[in-house]
Order: sequence, then C-alpha cells, then structure tokens
Amino acid sequence: MSIVILVPLLPLLSALIVLVGDEGSRHQRAKIAAYPIGAAFLGAIVTLWYVATHGPITIRFYDPASLATMVFPMGFYIDRLSAVMMTLISGVGTIVYTYSVGNMFQDHHARRYLSLMGFTVFVLLCMVSSANLMMLFLFWQALSYMLYILAHNHAHAPTLAGAFRTFTLLRVGDVAFLSGIVLAYQLYGTLEFNTLFARAAELPIMLTPLPGIEIGGPTAIALLLFIGAMSKSAQFPLHIWLPSSLYAPTPMHALLHAGIINAGGFLINRLAPLYGLSPTALHVAFAVGALTVVFGAAMMLAQNDIKKTLGFSTIAQMGYMIMECGLGAYALAVFHLIAHGLFKGTVFLNCGNVIHNARQEPEFPHTHHPREEEGFSRLTWLTGLIATLVIPLLILLVMHDILSIPLLESQGTVIFLFFIWITSSQAILTLTRLRAVASWKVAFTMLLTLIFVVFVYLFAAESFTAFLYPNPAEVEFYFQAAALPDGLFSTIVVMITLLIVMSWSYLYMRAHGKSMRMPDWVEGLRIRLYVLFMNRLYADGIYEVLGRLVTRGLHRILKRDAGWSK
Amino acid sequence: MTGVMTTPLLLAAVPIMGAVLGFVVWSQPDKLKIWSVFVTVLSLLAVIGTSEQLTVPTGGLLLLYLFPLAACVSLLGQPVHQEHRLAWVMTLLFLGLGLGVLTSQNVVGQIALVVLLGLITFILYRHRNSLWSASWWGIGTYGFGTLCAVLATIADPFVSSVASLLVCAILLPLVPFHGGYVIALTRLPGSLPSFIVLLLPAIGLHGLAALMPTVPDVMILPLTILALVGALYGAAKALAQSRVPLLLAYSSLSFFSILWWFVVISQTVIPQTAVFLGAVALVTSGLLLAWQVVRTRYGDDVDPRTISGLAGTMPQFAVLLTLLALAAMGMPPFGVFAGFMGMLFTSPLTSSAALLIIVIAWLAASWYILDMAQRLLFGQQRSDLRHEDLRRSEFASLLMVVLIAIALGVAPDSLFGIEHQSPHIVTIMESVSWN
Repeated sequence: MSIVILVPLLPLLSALIVLVGDEGSRHQRAKIAAYPIGAAFLGAIVTLWYVATHGPITIRFYDPASLATMVFPMGFYIDRLSAVMMTLISGVGTIVYTYSVGNMFQDHHARRYLSLMGFTVFVLLCMVSSANLMMLFLFWQALSYMLYILAHNHAHAPTLAGAFRTFTLLRVGDVAFLSGIVLAYQLYGTLEFNTLFARAAELPIMLTPLPGIEIGGPTAIALLLFIGAMSKSAQFPLHIWLPSSLYAPTPMHALLHAGIINAGGFLINRLAPLYGLSPTALHVAFAVGALTVVFGAAMMLAQNDIKKTLGFSTIAQMGYMIMECGLGAYALAVFHLIAHGLFKGTVFLNCGNVIHNARQEPEFPHTHHPREEEGFSRLTWLTGLIATLVIPLLILLVMHDILSIPLLESQGTVIFLFFIWITSSQAILTLTRLRAVASWKVAFTMLLTLIFVVFVYLFAAESFTAFLYPNPAEVEFYFQAAALPDGLFSTIVVMITLLIVMSWSYLYMRAHGKSMRMPDWVEGLRIRLYVLFMNRLYADGIYEVLGRLVTRGLHRILKRDAGWSK
Repeated sequence: MTGVMTTPLLLAAVPIMGAVLGFVVWSQPDKLKIWSVFVTVLSLLAVIGTSEQLTVPTGGLLLLYLFPLAACVSLLGQPVHQEHRLAWVMTLLFLGLGLGVLTSQNVVGQIALVVLLGLITFILYRHRNSLWSASWWGIGTYGFGTLCAVLATIADPFVSSVASLLVCAILLPLVPFHGGYVIALTRLPGSLPSFIVLLLPAIGLHGLAALMPTVPDVMILPLTILALVGALYGAAKALAQSRVPLLLAYSSLSFFSILWWFVVISQTVIPQTAVFLGAVALVTSGLLLAWQVVRTRYGDDVDPRTISGLAGTMPQFAVLLTLLALAAMGMPPFGVFAGFMGMLFTSPLTSSAALLIIVIAWLAASWYILDMAQRLLFGQQRSDLRHEDLRRSEFASLLMVVLIAIALGVAPDSLFGIEHQSPHIVTIMESVSWN
C-alpha cells in the first residue's frame, strides 16, 4: 500500500505543472494541473476505504530508534482520522482549485496563487498523514509560511503589516509547539505517536517549572502543543491574524477557511490519547474555546465589513471546535470542522459570483427593498416554542426515565444533547423571521428542520464517532477525562438554558410589538459593549502598541551601543 | 614527515600558493576572480581527496568541507572590480590558514591562528575610518585575540587555557568579546565578511572542542549566563537595527550564543553542533551576499525601505532571498533548524528558564529577518529605479548556499558522521525538577 504516498505528492505535481513553463501556455497548464489534484481526491477516498476495512497504514523512511534521523523523519501513518482529513483536504482542494482556474483567468498573479494552492494542499496532506510528531511539526511550520505568503496581497503596502502580524503570531505558536516536542522527547525519548502515548501513560513524571508548582509531564506537553493549535486555529487571544488576512483572492480564503484553519482541531484529535491523560489541558482547551466562541460571535455581529464578518464567524466556529475537543467530544469536533469547512468554502466561493454579478449588473445589489411586512403569527411561534423548548424537554425525560440513560452521571451525553438543542434552536430562531407567514407550511418546515438536525446529530455524529473511535471505552475515557466539576457543569448547562429561554422571550416580545424595559445602565452597557466588539476588543491596537513599546524599549536600553550602527 | 603531518600542510598550501600566484594576474580583475574561484574548487577537491588521511576533528569533517565552499560562494558573489582584488587574495590566504588551524594538531596550527588574527587586525587597521570610532574596538579586540593566541602557545598550562578560552570567545563570538566580530563582519572589504562569518566561528568551535573537557566546573555557570545573555542581547540588537549588515551580525551573534550555551551545558561538541554552526554561518554568508547584490545596484549604504517591491522586478533574487531568510529564521528543511533541534534533543535540559530564553531568541529571528526580507521584497514597486535581476555568478553563488543549507537539513546522517545515539529518557518515577 506504499502507493498511498502518491496522494500527497500529486498536488505537488500540480504545483510544479503550473509553475514551470512559459506564459503562453499558463492557462492550459493550469487546467491540466487540476487532474492530479482530482486524482489525489480519488486516491484519498480509496485510502479511506482501505484503512476502514484493513486498518492503519504505516510507511517509514527513517529509523525510529535513531536520534540523527529524528530531525527529518519522513514517514506516513494513515489511520481513519488521517484518511478522513485527507479526503476533506483533497476534496476541498480539488473544488477550490478547479474554481480558481476560471476565477483567476485574467489575474496577473494566477501562476503564483495556483501553484501555491497546490503546494498548500501538499503540505496539508503531508501534515495530516505524518508518521510522528516531528514530521507533523515540520509541515506545521511550512504551513505558517504558506499562510503568510498565500493569504495576503504583498504588492499592496497597507496589508503588509497584517501579513507580518500573521507570521509572527503563527511563529509564537510554532515556538510553543517546538518546546512541547523537545519536552516530549526529553521526557519520553520518542516522537512516535503510539510509543509516546504508551510511555506517557506508563511513566507518571512530574515537573516543577516554578518553585512550589508541580505539573504532570503529559499536561506540560499538551499545554505547549495546545498553544500551537491556538495560533493555527485563531483562538483568542491569538486570533487577530485571521481577520487581517483577507486581502488575497477569494478562492484562497475558501481554502484557508475550509482547510488550513482546521489544523488545531486535527492536532488535538491526533494527540487525543495524550490529552486524555491531562484533564487540566482539556479544561484549558474548553475555556479558551468558550471564550473564542463568545468573543468571535459577538465581534462577528458588530462588524460592518462582509469579509471581516466571515472571518469572525470562522473564529467563533473554530472556538466551537476547540471547545468540543475540550469537552472530550473529539469526533464531534472533526464532524464540526468538516461541516464548517464545506459550508464556509461554499460561502467564500459564492462570494466571487456575487462580486461578478455586481460587476455585470450596475444596480446589484438592489437598493430598493420592499419594506418587510410586519406581522405576528401565533401558529409559527407556537410551533417554534414546541420545537425548541417542549420537544427537547420531552426527549430528556424519555431518555432519563424510560430509556434509563444516566444523564446526571454522563456529561458526554448531555454535551451531545446540548449541541443538538443549540443547533436546532439557532435554525428555528432563524425561521421565525418568516413570522408574517402564518401557514402550516412554515410550521411544517420548522418541525422538519428540528427532525433533520436531531437525526443528523444523533445518527451521523454517533456513527462518525463510532467510525473514528471504534472502541466505546476510549470515547468514554475521553469524556471522563474532560469531565468538569459537577457544580461548574450544572451552572454552564443552566446558564445556556436560561440564555435560550430569554432569547425566545425577547424575540417573542419584539415580534409581538412589545418592548422590554431596561435600566439605563444596561442600555449604556449594551452600547459600550457594541463599540468594544465593533472595534474587535481593540486587540489589533493593543498588539501594535505592545510591538511599538518593545521596539522603543529596546532602542532605549541599547542606545549606548548606537555608535556601532554608524 | 608522516602523512598526518604533511596532509595539513598540503591542504593549507593549495590556497596559499593560489593566493601568491594570483599576483600574476593582479592587473586583470576578471581573471583574478576566476583564478580565485578555481583555487577554492581545488582546495575542496584536496580536502575530499585527503579526508581519509586526516585526523577527524571533533564534530566531523563537515566544517572542513564547508571552508572551501564558503570561500567559493563568497568569491562568486562579488562583482568584478579592482578594489576587490585584495579581498579575493586575502580570502584565499584565510582559507589556507583556516584549513591549517583545523587540520594541524601541533604548533603549526597555533602559528596559523596567530597569523590569521594578526592579518584581520591589520586589515581592520587599514580600513579604519576616523569618522567611525568603533573601528578601534575591533582592532583592539582582534589585537587582544592575537596576543592571547601567542600566550596560549607559549605560556604555562593554566594561563594557556585561559588565553585559549578568550581566543575562542573572540572567534566564536561571546558577549562581551563580540565587538570585534561585529565590526569585522560590517567593515571588512569585499568577499571577506561572507567568508569569515564561517571561518572564525568554526575555528573557535574547534578550539572549544579541545578546551571544554578541561574547563573547571566553577566556570560553567558564568559561561552559561554569558551565553544566555548573548542570545537575548544579539536578538534585541538585531531587532533594533535598520542596517542589514549589522542586523545579520547581531542575528548570528544570537545564534552563536545559543551554540555556546549548548556546548557549555553539555561540555562537549557533537556533530549536530557543527551542523548548526555551519548552517548559521553559511546562511548568514548567503544573506550578506544577497545584500552585496543590492549594494552593487543601489549603493553602499542604501536604506532597504527605499527599494521595496523587488519581488516583482527581481524574481530570481526574490526567490533565493526568501529561501535564505526562511533558513535564517530556523525554518525546516534547512540546516539551522536541523542543527538546533539536534542540539535540543541531545542537551541535558534542566532549566525551563534557559529553554525559554533560547526559544525567545529563536522566535525573535522570525521577527527581524522577516522584517528585513519583507522591506526589500514586498510593498510598492519603485518604477523610477533601474532593476536588474541576478547575474550568472551571483545566481550560482546564492543557489549554492541555498542547496548546501538544504543538504545540511536533510542529508543522510552518515554524511556528517553522526552516529546513532540512544535518546536521553527520564525514567525517574518521582518528581523531576525542571526549573
């Protein structure tokens, strides 16, 4: 099964086909280069089938026992997780590349971008199929530079600051990753995934980074590697590179938001057994993910620039993904990143059509919208209420009392149910915008949506979990490791429940033409928060000031040596 | 004389004789340059041919191979101009002396070192500038180094050891003896800076390899602190520079301080150390050559900010500079990364603070090197400037550096004599102190 290495190599061939040759045949070569990427996608599907039926594939071009080869240990380890990621990456890569060939037909930089796209797909495929942590890190770093070079327009001087910030922030993550690797090797003497997990589980090593502070070996490694994941997946406070990297051609963003940014989620999944040994690291991941969800979503709502809105939407979604990992729901995170990747890729690719239409038709988008009809439909609202509040409650009771599923003892099940509930609530709250249409058709659509969401989550997510992690004990182990203290978990559950109920009440009253009396300080706070989130928490400014302070401080401290600069 | 004694003399004689014969074509700079390049190739062949008869230095034969290669690329990257003739001949002379120091086990090597340091002092004196008072700092440092090298040869063992350590700190720059290195790198003419950036630190490492086992324990802590301070200081100074040669000088100081730290805490020199040193020096040499390309076209003291957008107008230069910058930042698959990781994997890490300082210095390189490359390559293109992409010799020179840097990162371990080592595994079941 050594032929599987062709899957990552074929996109590299595409990149070379585009890159090498004269200008006259550029478009022809670009079209030809789509075939190797497409072939890589087909190869990834075959690989997925193979590893699902025959087990993981391991190919090594190095000696795992030799330290000398550990700085460049090329090899492949393809299990179900890798195969799924390879299929996603090569699939999205094929679609985005094929789209780009036409979309960038007249672009002067088409050759550079198309070849970089092929090269990025190659790097991503190698990264997800790495045989060991070191090879993963090699391609992880390459990806940092690809993001710098791919997601910015370097001929446009004002965007260079954003490009520079992107690379330096990603390098912060790389340095943490490097420290994690060095620590892992120093403590356990290996960077092979399975050997590392086994030794980490066997050797209960404690470290003392500061006097009086003790930390377990797996926790220290997992936390350092998590900083790497934070930077690639744009987690708060290392998120600011993503919204400022929106100046490249739109298809590049489709690839970035659908493929590259998922690296953090993949890393945690790949190292799931290691994270499973460290509840602290999982709790930190949950907290960081939750903060990113809240801030990302709040900032998304307050932006007035469509690309920035999409950027913050991705940040929030990545927060969800990391939060799911922090809750031990690894497979759910992968399911989420696939769904989000396909969705966001579609949105970005469609951006090009919208822009194209706007250019074709001067009056597009239409400025004279007919005023939305005000109205209130009791039927619609009643259906929504039943769908999002009553039915979930019934399901809970049925599961707890009739099916005897111990919800109070199983955070994992509650997490699954909660994600179902939140997603369906979100979908149905959106449907209430059809409030003026008081028809059974709308009510039926709502119920259909609910059923669809519930089924997708229950069957697709459960089946996917069983596919990625066939051993139920392993899944349970991760949920147990990620379990929050009962009081905290209950508080979070109650708070989210209250939030959904309050949202319903607020929307219901607004739809009914009623207003809620708010104290002045609440109104003032709302405006202040709006300004804060509109300015993206002033994070860009804070980083800029910090950078300036460091530079100024250095100049001040080192001015005695200024004579050497003359 | 035995083969062990004659081979080093032969290796040193090839470039020195080449330098002397160079005066035959002194009046024809183009022929002198071709001759000089030819002599470096001959030297490389001589090293390859005699490698079996040499006493393998600690750290392997890698640095011996790199000497003629670095001299070759340094000469290739220079424009043909009569002002550079002395630098070309001195490059050959330095190559011969360097090979002599590295291969000779006796007093010949020490004499070669004294001559080398004396020559650098002389050239710095010759190129001193009354407007630039720091020249005297460099002249003084290398003058002091020459004195120490003499003392190391004639004094009693204790004084000799101290003097040798000081010579090592001047050659392989360690704060506070780094001034001479910075000035030599920024003030020596023509092809010399891009060659001595490898030559001097490699000789320093060679000396250190012999010295470290004898350094008393009481010296370890001060040396460790100096190395860590040097790593941070070099990075901070590089961040504060606007002139490219100074930025590269301080950047390499930071990386060499990391090497000092590793050698001091492990009290040994291993092949990975030589890979790291060779890669850092060669990449810095490449960046100096790239800057020479810019200087040739836009003037001696040009501000990088005023010639932005070269990626569009000089694509070959842009690609090679980008690759060199990536190597200098410590990105894979180049030798700097491979050497750095190799050292970290084998070092007995006992201090999280030291590791933090080292990775901060490593991270800072991504900041100042990228800033430099970005200022030159990207941004608004200057249509009012005349642009000319790389000439053949410049292209060959930079390409060679890039290829060697990649080879150092990915080449099979046997090439550098790196043996299989059993990893250092902590098997203590109790608490491990790591502070």
